[in-house]
Amino acid sequence: MDKIKKFFLPKPIILSNGKVVQPAMSPMVYVIPILLVMFFYSTSLTGFALGTLINRGSRFFDILVKMFPPNFGYFTKVWTPMVVTLVMSIVGTLAGAAFSIPAAYLSSENMVKSPLLKFIVRSIMSVLRTIPLLVLVILFLNMFGAGAFTGMISLGVFTFTIMTKMFYELIDTCDMGPFEAIESSGASRVKAFWTGIMPQLWGQYISILLYNFEMNIRNAAILGYVGAGGIGILLNDRLGWRAYPEVAMILLVLMLSVYLIESLSRYIRKRLL
Amino acid sequence: MSTKITVIEQLKNEPKNLGLKALLILGLIGVGILGVVYIDYNGFTEFGLTVMWNISKSIFTPNTALLFGEGKNGVLFLITETAAIAFLGTIIGTIVSIPIAFLSSRNIVPGWMANIGVAFITVIRTFPAVVYGLMFIRVTGPGAFTGVLTLAVASIGMISKLFIEVIEDLDPGIIEALDAAGCNGIQKVQYGIVPQLMGNFASTAIYRFEINVKYATILGMVGAGGIGAPLIFAITAYRWADTGALLIGLIIFVLIVEYGSAKIRKKLATGE
Amino acid sequence: MIKFEGVVKTYPNGVQALKGVDLSIEQGEFVCIIGLSGAGKSTLLRSINQMHQITGGKLTVDDVDVSTLKGKELRRFRRNIGMVFQSFNLVKRTTVIKNVLAARVADMPLWKSLLGLYAKQDKIIALEALDQVGILEKAYSRADQLSGGQQQRVALARTVAQQPKIILADEPVASLDPVTSQQVMSDFVKINKTLNITVIANMHHVDIALKYANRIIGVKEGKIVFDGPSLKVTNDILKEIYGRELSDDDLMGA
Repeated sequence: MDKIKKFFLPKPIILSNGKVVQPAMSPMVYVIPILLVMFFYSTSLTGFALGTLINRGSRFFDILVKMFPPNFGYFTKVWTPMVVTLVMSIVGTLAGAAFSIPAAYLSSENMVKSPLLKFIVRSIMSVLRTIPLLVLVILFLNMFGAGAFTGMISLGVFTFTIMTKMFYELIDTCDMGPFEAIESSGASRVKAFWTGIMPQLWGQYISILLYNFEMNIRNAAILGYVGAGGIGILLNDRLGWRAYPEVAMILLVLMLSVYLIESLSRYIRKRLL
Repeated sequence: MSTKITVIEQLKNEPKNLGLKALLILGLIGVGILGVVYIDYNGFTEFGLTVMWNISKSIFTPNTALLFGEGKNGVLFLITETAAIAFLGTIIGTIVSIPIAFLSSRNIVPGWMANIGVAFITVIRTFPAVVYGLMFIRVTGPGAFTGVLTLAVASIGMISKLFIEVIEDLDPGIIEALDAAGCNGIQKVQYGIVPQLMGNFASTAIYRFEINVKYATILGMVGAGGIGAPLIFAITAYRWADTGALLIGLIIFVLIVEYGSAKIRKKLATGE
Repeated sequence: MIKFEGVVKTYPNGVQALKGVDLSIEQGEFVCIIGLSGAGKSTLLRSINQMHQITGGKLTVDDVDVSTLKGKELRRFRRNIGMVFQSFNLVKRTTVIKNVLAARVADMPLWKSLLGLYAKQDKIIALEALDQVGILEKAYSRADQLSGGQQQRVALARTVAQQPKIILADEPVASLDPVTSQQVMSDFVKINKTLNITVIANMHHVDIALKYANRIIGVKEGKIVFDGPSLKVTNDILKEIYGRELSDDDLMGA
């Protein structure tokens, strides 16, 4: 065993004054083999084959070719679902963001002294966060039926779980000074939080909100696929019918919307910082 | 200290911020109106609550045969398959992103080329993974392979963007110093560029892997392999015990990935 | 009136910060506490508003037993005690006036404080407090655009806006240069005299303490070893409080 270890260690360096320096073993020694093993295992498991890719690859370009020219007339049919998608994301993100403030407050080490409460809240949030968006959608479909409302609620809950984590990390690393000062003046912890900590964090909070909003616009497009409103269902439908010029139009509208939202978001975030 | 202004005057001087407040209020009202117009509330079905309750219960009463079972239906296999899809997708996406990122960085290639590269990346980034999934299924059929391709392409957007940031942040001083010491091109790359990039690249890749694990599950639902499809089937067929087993596997898996990813990335940022 | 009777504070890790303190301070006094770092000055100060809970003895403020207070009573009690910190503890990104107005939220209903709906009277109180410390013209500037001395005066204005009976100051000028420190200390004196607010200040720098306080309390190893007018403080007394000769570090040197 020692011999194997010695084999991987770099040679010790002997300095001119006789001292011997033993450089540490590079982590690459075990990282690279592990990665290689994982790589080959994964390829066989997933049936990844370059051959198939090259053969079928031409099909992909076939589709691309068929998408030009896009059917611009289709725009009228795309418009409403796109707006629905947008509204779903806006309301969902805002709702999730709003609720994440108290949830983050309850998960924060700085705010909650009882380790038990903090642990419970954080654990619930962690578990909720692992639930994929579409699973949430299916759950809410059963509650609220098909349509944009379900999509909105799903996005709301999804955003809530993500933003809570991002936000409590901020709370845990902020300057507690003003909070201490306001609490010592006789205000309750909640008031001290709102007037002493939130003002420090508003800029970053909005930044996180916008980031999640950008993500949600993309996520919302998918929701339609399972019937939760928006553009997804249209996309899948057109793809199924191989109506590629219409698909192209849908993608164009999606692209334009995302681009507009991102530009707006980037502008606001620049102004904040 | 002489006060040139009195309290009463200063009270009047209070900045009103009318513009901002108006914008906020109008914005909220606007969103509210849009919400009401475009989103129909179809009413609440108690059945949904039962479903949620059943699912929550099912986590405590899972189908242990499925949970610990072997074979293609076992949770263990499905999780491994999902992990493999995410892993492979990330690796391929990363490998492809490297040249793309270099070709889009302003300090490596001329401005016009960088602009084309960035535009290309932005377009790819626009589309959510599922859109690519739906398209790729029509090319390579349903299954894990499609999942890998989808994630690879979907990852390019984010990975390239982050890579570009790292590349454009490269410290030219180190390369200058190596130049002055008489190194040739390859040595400069090996000792000057690669060390600066490796840590960041690895961190980005691991971050994307975490995201891809979550996407892999969703992609499974549209037919691209992994634990997604069985999970959805179990839920829609009201097979609660199976749902419980699959959910447990999924939750534990994601938690482990989150934890491991955070630890490794922290070590990369501070230790190594 | 603040009264310490045999007050003891032992921390959970066994350290005895206060070993039997007897002290009484009347309304309107200006007291400075001096002593080595770790001697117990901070603990002494912060037990008055229960930021540290005492473990033995009796501590009363205006006949209210501080150690029994909790919840709403504690908050109401703290309304009457303002605190000024060495690091100012302002919210750097907001305006001066918003910082000072934070002192008023304790008396406001929760929903109003969440929306920032301060009454006109609150705003006047805040502005007048700023006027008292001489920075009224900076009311709408962002706090981090002010110098250190100005920021500490904003913090002082914040406590004044609370309309307290007592102000506790934990090394308020330790981060400031000599000239600014003197300005801030004069503000403290002015507020003490005009508003009759008791001021108790921990001072790191002995010369400033002697110059501005009329009563000095020397703390050594958790006990009070000197309590008397500042005029009566001699070098020997200082040596006893500090257990050594004073170094440059202990003097502001203005």
